[in-house]
Amino acid sequence: MSVAIDGELTLKEEQMFLLHLSECEVCRIEYEDAKKTKMIIREKIVRFKAPPSLVSTIMQLSNIDTKETEDTLL
Amino acid sequence: MTKSDTKHPVKAVSKKELHSREELQKQLEFQKEAVVHINSLYNYALHLTMNPDDAEDLVQETYLKAYRFFNSFERGTNCKAWLFKILKNNYINSFRKNSKEPGKVDYDLIKDFYHSIKDTRTDTTEAEADYFHTLMHEEVYMALQSLPEEFREVIQLCDIEGFTYEEIANMVESPIGTVRSRLYRGRKLLRAQLENYAKKFGFNTETE
Repeated sequence: MSVAIDGELTLKEEQMFLLHLSECEVCRIEYEDAKKTKMIIREKIVRFKAPPSLVSTIMQLSNIDTKETEDTLL
Repeated sequence: MTKSDTKHPVKAVSKKELHSREELQKQLEFQKEAVVHINSLYNYALHLTMNPDDAEDLVQETYLKAYRFFNSFERGTNCKAWLFKILKNNYINSFRKNSKEPGKVDYDLIKDFYHSIKDTRTDTTEAEADYFHTLMHEEVYMALQSLPEEFREVIQLCDIEGFTYEEIANMVESPIGTVRSRLYRGRKLLRAQLENYAKKFGFNTETE
């Protein structure tokens, strides 16, 4: 079931899965529930932005590194 | 060596120039491939450490290490997955020792943490209208945090970060079959939790 929700089925497996869903109500309900749960997590989990200070530190990381290499070369 | 250096100072300079040009190229590529994932890494670090300062340290350490070993990053593969793996390893090595016992959930701590950082949150698009729609973000967050770590982790990596099973299996160092079953069981637990919340707030949990 998870495999289907996450789009990890092969094309053939997916066809068979959909065929089964059309015939089996139990699985259809479970499939809808599982899909809903995944959607809730996606939509409702709050995403935070990295603090600007952290971003600029990371951007400078590589520059500092270059300076050090140059210093050792000199 | 010193002799030849003084004899050919021009050559020495051009070598240095070549080196810094390579370095510059590496920097640019690093920023394009790796630094773009900083928000995802920060979120992952927050979930792991439950502490903004620790999360910053963890992300910084991760990028330091990633930059140092950037040459060993296999071009064309998922750089985000590579960074997550480094972050996870860093976390295990330097943070987990000090953290709370696994399996114990401190709800007050989680709640405090959630509220302390909520203000900086980015916009979220609203889900389609059903009874879960009325559930607050906080409840979903708490439900996810209350899951055992092995379940929470795969759900996070799959549903929030969008990694493939193969990438997740590599990150958590378990077979794909294990990832699959953890996802299945984790979601079942989560769903039960969310229904509890829904009941608590008086919503109808029957699927119509």
